[in-house]
Formats: sequence, C-alpha cells, structure tokens
Amino acid sequence: MSHAREPKPILRAGLAAAAGLAVLAASACSAPAPPRTVAAASAAPSAGATGPATLPAPTGPHPVGTTALHLKDTSRPDPWVPEAKARELMVTLWYPARARTGQRAPYMTPKESELTLKGRRVTGAPYDLLSKTRTNAFSGAEPAGRKGALPLVVLSPGFTMPRSTLTALAEELAGGGYVVAGIDHTYENHATTFPDGRVAECVACDSDTDPGFGTRVAGVRAADVSFVLDRLTGPDAAWEGSALIDASRIAMAGQSIGGASALAAMVTDSRVRAGINMDGTAYARLPKSGLSRPFLFLGSPGHTPGGRDNSWDRDWKLLTGWKRWLVLPGGDHQSFTDVPLLADALGIEQPGSLPAARSVEITRTYVRAFLDLHLRGERQPLLDGPSPRYPEVEHCAPAAKTCE
Amino acid sequence: MTIRTIRTMAAGLVLLPLLAAGCTGQTAPRTQPGAATGGPAMCAAPRPGTDIPPETPTTIDVVEQAYRCVLANYYSGPRLDNRALLTAGFAAFTQQLNRGGRDLPEATPPALSGDREADWAAFETVYRRVTDRLPDDAALQEELAAATLRAMVAALGDDHAHWTKGVRRPPDYYDGDQYGLGLRASVGAQVAGNPGIALPPLFVTAVLGGAAKAAGVRPGDIIESINGSAPFIDGTVTPAAVGALYPRYPEADPVRLDLLREKTGRRWSVTLKPGLYQPDPATTPVVTTGLPREGIGYVRLAGFAPDSADRVLRAISRLRAGRTLTGLVLDLRGNGGGNPEEVNRLLGAFAHGKVTAYQCTVDGACEAMRTDDSVALLNLPLAVLTDRGCASACEHFSAAVKDLRLGRLVGTRTAGAVSGPAQPYLLGDNTILGFPSRHHLAPGREVIDRIGVAPDHHVPLTPKDAAAGRDPALDRALALLSE
Repeated sequence: MSHAREPKPILRAGLAAAAGLAVLAASACSAPAPPRTVAAASAAPSAGATGPATLPAPTGPHPVGTTALHLKDTSRPDPWVPEAKARELMVTLWYPARARTGQRAPYMTPKESELTLKGRRVTGAPYDLLSKTRTNAFSGAEPAGRKGALPLVVLSPGFTMPRSTLTALAEELAGGGYVVAGIDHTYENHATTFPDGRVAECVACDSDTDPGFGTRVAGVRAADVSFVLDRLTGPDAAWEGSALIDASRIAMAGQSIGGASALAAMVTDSRVRAGINMDGTAYARLPKSGLSRPFLFLGSPGHTPGGRDNSWDRDWKLLTGWKRWLVLPGGDHQSFTDVPLLADALGIEQPGSLPAARSVEITRTYVRAFLDLHLRGERQPLLDGPSPRYPEVEHCAPAAKTCE
Repeated sequence: MTIRTIRTMAAGLVLLPLLAAGCTGQTAPRTQPGAATGGPAMCAAPRPGTDIPPETPTTIDVVEQAYRCVLANYYSGPRLDNRALLTAGFAAFTQQLNRGGRDLPEATPPALSGDREADWAAFETVYRRVTDRLPDDAALQEELAAATLRAMVAALGDDHAHWTKGVRRPPDYYDGDQYGLGLRASVGAQVAGNPGIALPPLFVTAVLGGAAKAAGVRPGDIIESINGSAPFIDGTVTPAAVGALYPRYPEADPVRLDLLREKTGRRWSVTLKPGLYQPDPATTPVVTTGLPREGIGYVRLAGFAPDSADRVLRAISRLRAGRTLTGLVLDLRGNGGGNPEEVNRLLGAFAHGKVTAYQCTVDGACEAMRTDDSVALLNLPLAVLTDRGCASACEHFSAAVKDLRLGRLVGTRTAGAVSGPAQPYLLGDNTILGFPSRHHLAPGREVIDRIGVAPDHHVPLTPKDAAAGRDPALDRALALLSE
C-alpha cells in the first residue's frame, strides 16, 4: 500500500470515468501502509537508539515456550505467486511451558529485521535491531497442560507486518494458558524467512492499490487460518504438543487487516468460535442472516461509530451474538501491536498518546478478558462497561454514535 | 493510525490520498495563524500522517477561508479578479434562496471595487444581513454557505478545482464495490463538465454488473433516450441526460433507458436502479497483462496509482521471460490519471533525458518535469491506446509519447482534463478544497487542457464493434507493431 507516502499533488480528472467509485475507494482506508512509525525522529542514524527493546514480562502463571512451524498447503497454489504450486506458511506457536528451559527466542531474524525496517523506511536504527529485541519465551521449552485442555488463539498481523509484531500479546496469552498461533501470511509482509533460508518478500504490496485488494487479502488469510487449524488439530498434527489443544475452543484476533481476517475466517470456518478485530477496516461479507458468534471491535479513534470508515458500523448490525465496540481515544493504529514498545529503540515517533507500556497492558487485558469469557466461560465485569481502572477505554453505542 | 490504503485507482477525486489518509481520525488539524485581518485561519495542506476529523457545518467563515485560499494559492490567484469569485458566489447564494422560496429584498450584491479585503467585507455584510433574516435553521444556513462556496470554486472553470463535502460511502459498501447502474457508455461521465467531442449514437460499451447486467443490457445496445430525454439533440449532446447514466451515491433514483439492439432491431425499455455491485475481479486490477499476438505484449494501466510504473515494468519483464517481445501495446483507455511522478517514471522506460511536461505559473515561469532516467530503457516499439476516458496524468503521458515520438497513439482523443496537479487544502469545516497552483503544458509547450491529445491513428469504436466484442483500436495497434 503505497507505503509511507506523503500526499502528493495528483493529476487526476475530477469527472473521469467510474467517478462514483473514487469516493468509495478513497475512504477504504484501513489496510496497509506504515506512515507514522516511519518518520524517524532524528536524522542521525544512531541518535534515537536506546539499545534493543525489551518486551514486558507476561503476567500469567505459566512460563512461555515457543516454536516455529513450517507448513505447506499443497491443496492450492500460492495466491500471490501462482507459479508456486503450494502455499507455504511460517507459524509461530507460543504456549504454556513446564519451565524456562533453553534459549530466549529471537524476536525475528536479522534479515527479517533489515527488510522490515527498510520496507517501512525506518532509518534511525541499525538494520538488525529488531532481531535483538528481548523476548520472554523460551525456544522449544516443553509444553505444559493436560490433553485437550488448552484453548487455541490464532493471531494475524497487519499488512506488511510480520507475526512477531504481536509477540507481547502472544506471550501474555500463552502465560495465561492459551496456545497461540501467530501466522505470517507469506508475501503479505516485508520478510518471511523459511528454514532453508529462502526469504519471501512483499509480493502482495505490488497490487495493494487495486480495488478489492483488502477483500482479497482477508479471503486469502481466512484460507490460511483454516489450513493452520487443520494442521494444529487434525490427525496428522504438525506440532508435538497438538494433543494439548482443545479443538472446540478456538478464537482468532488480529490487528488491522489481520483483524478483518478474523471476521473473514469466522464466516468461512465455524471452528473459530470468537474473534477480535483490532483497528482493522472490515472486508468480509457477513451472511445476511448475521453472525452469532462473539466478536470484539477494539479500535483507535479512526474507528469510532459514524466515522469515515463505515465498515464496523456496517458489520455491527450483522453481528447478532455477544459483541462490544471499544475505542481508545488516545490510541493509534499500532497501539495494539509491539510497535509502541519498539518505537524508542528505533528512534521513531511514539504512535498515539498512550505510554507504550500502557497500550500493551490495555491490549493484553482486554483481549485476555474476551478470551477468558468466551473460551473459558469466566465472568468478565471489565467488559460490561467503562472501568475506572482503564479510563483510556471507551465503550461505544453504535446506534447512538457515542462512546463513553 | 499508520496503516492505510491509498486507493488512487478508481478515478474521480483530486484528493483521494488525503481522504484515504483521513480514515481514522480525530486528531485536530494543526491550527494555522489567523489571517492578518483577524479573519478565519488560512487554509493549509492537511498534515501528513494525521487524520481529518469529521466534517462540521459549512459557514460564511469557511466561505471566506476558501476565498482567501483561492486568491493566495490558486494558479491565477495573483491575477485573479476577486469580483468574479464573489459575483459567482452571490449568484449561487440567491439561486439557493429562491430554490427554498425565500428570496429577500436585501439579497442584492454590494458594489465591488476589486479590493480583495474591502470587497469581502462588503460581501459578508450583505450575506449576513440576508441570512440573519432567515429562520434559525442550521441545515438551511449550511446549504446557503455550501452553495456559495461551491459556485466560487466552479467559477475557476478548472477541471482540477474541487471542493469535497459530504462525500459518503453507501453504508453497505465493501472494498472493491462500485456504485451506479453497472454500465459504461460511449459518452462518459466527464460529459457534464466537458462535452468535448461526444458524437451520436450513444451506446453501451461495457456492462460491469449491477442493474445493467441484471436487466440483460449488452455492449453495443444503443441508448435512444434516458428518462425520456434524447442524449443528442440535432447532434449536440445533452449533458444532463447522459450524466444520469453515472449516478453517484446518494443519488438513487431509477433511470429509465429506451434501448435499440441493432442486430435484431429490438426496441425496449429498462429501468435501472443505481446501487452497489461487485465488478468482475478480473477487470479491476490497476495493471493487467496479456499476449494478444505472439511477440507483442499488452499491458492495461487503469490509473497512475502509487507504484503503478514499477508494476507495469515488472509486468513487462514477466511477459519477456522466456520469449522475445517485438512490440508493446499500452492500453490507457479509461485511465483517469494519478501521480505525475509515476508518469515520469514510466516514460523513463521509453526515453532518457527528456522533458515530459512543464508546470507553469500564471506569469509563465515554468518548471520542467523529466523522464526518470534511473529506469532501464525497454527498447520496444510502443503503441498507446487512448480514449476520452484517458484524463489528466494519462494525458501527460500520452502527450509526451506523441511529442517525443516514443510510440504511436491509437484510438480517440483524450479527455482534455489536465489543468495541473491539484494541491489539497484543509478548510475549517474539515472539508478539502483542491486546485492546482501551476498549469500543465505538454513537452512542446502546448496546452492540452480542454483540448486533449489527438491520436496518431483515429480509430473510434462503433456499436457494431462493441456488440461483437471487437476492439478495432487494439487491432490497429497490433497491425502497426507488426509492420
């Protein structure tokens, strides 16, 4: 998506063909492209650097283990590179572990760090910096839990963003007893590295100005999610800990177009019992009869009821089950990712007006509460209305176009 | 908010990127220092990376801001007779009053001297005197201010001057949807502003979906009347009648067409209700490719969207993989324009070291735009397909191809809608006013705005061609490249 472009003079006929659409397309904001994080705060390459970032420790009772899976879906060609006869995906699992054994997992590879920073035009930090981010998960640590006891949460990142940008959330959920599967949707981010060293770059970025692009991405991701669920819960499960997963308790959350993809996956795959869209314009066509499974919209000010993006208002009416629409007036599109935690290290402007630690805490707390309610059946008064503990979070009444 | 789509493909607005950028927002606009007179804030470019808050009612203060904005920043601003703006605004103001049955004796313009400050003060005084006598009805007051502002912008007579207010999406819109009747005709939507060379008969050139598809309308069907009005009277187009083929949301009145299918002689009527529809996904990408004849590559570019030049170049290298190309057809029909930098980059594949256009101030100071010489030359014979839907940046490209002899233009004359690149300005009601500060000239320093670029080979489409699915312009281009 025209990554990080400043508005430029446009030479365009006002009344050219297909005029009615322009307007539509114009407001189809949401998907992809990273402007604000990009503006390096300082011209001097090392000036903003405070050393690599450290992710806050998860609050749950369990140590966190992690492993990466390389999965190959031979039932379909890659949607972005049709010459590739299979869709290959890298998936990171985070899970409750018996003990903190082994090495702390790398946040991403140096190459992924380099391509991600170059892709987002961040120049204020060494290119490998993201790979040095300190995580809280231990590679290959033995999973803990009884057979069929752990609920599963799929995480899907924003367009051009790798799965690791949701690590702080993933570690929190794993520490709380969830198996978390973060998916890199190949060719939809700046860099995905496969075990044999191949690096997939952002082929989808080539077509991100096409009308219907968001709808297309959400559809691709829904198919990715169904495939990953097959491989995590099916008879030939790809992970040795798969038996711990309770396949009847699966939810999905995502940021930006990853959040849109949560709705798309719920439409096409009934195994996804509940979903969360964190600040993503929604693209999937919900059935006219409605979608009755629980759903949470968690947004920045760009997603207030009656705002310029109509997609949440549109879908709200078709969500017929438990639902909430929460907005962080001081939040930013990236408040639901690790970007605020990484901003100082990268020498980029802090997104939104909330302190980084606070936006992470809020995201972790509300996502966890939603999952505990709908996958574990635990009452969550936090979700019933505004909370004095989190005055930054407003509950919206879309019919009245108000939030409080 | 940082992740946003800049969807510049679908034609239409000068400010797409801005609107797009404004999709999530409540950040207050940067406040500008007030004008010297203590009037409303000066207009300014929307701040990149921030979101435009929801629109607020348009007031006379916003009209004043727009008036000052035009005089300070518009192409001919330094020389513009401010009285022309105010007179046009006042005329629209009185018309709007009459529309509501509320004409008043005070609604008479003041004497204007040509002094920009004094004239505004006089104008505002009369405006307020009139509106103070009207009921305290917010919608009524806003309509008057909006009509006044809109007329001042229209008075510029500039195809790249726009004021966007109340632009809304249909509530049930999904990404990729289009709104309208679901057809394109031989005379396009630009007829309303620039009838140009619209010729009879009016016929359907493409059925995209929606009501037209459901009603069984087909390419080649001749449209004999629209809502009972003839599209041409004595050979002259009726813009309002033809314009009804291209409704914009929230326009939703059904449109009745009387049709003739020449092949069968059948005459019948359909009533098409405007609405959202999903076009065939194969038709919507910005860049599509093919090999209409072995050795000849075909690339259609629907708009000069961000990255579109590189997309075209990558598409060509894919076409060249494993085969030798001896020619290239670049189909720019219906290309509504976009970013001039993409034009310069794509032209860099066909020539280096050349001026592609001039952007000139009203005083004749011109800045040359040049080919992007970092692009490798393709060294391919080129044919470019053009039509009346090739507008703005598309005409920048086409004129450069013609003037620099980089290839042959085949089809029909371009739109003639290329006054100059529009700059956006944010007004106090959170609407966007856009207009150029410079005007565009082709490499030979000739004006193409309002005139268009004449093709080297004039090959119009006939209803018979459309009905049979023939593309005579493409056929001619292939023949030229095979010579």
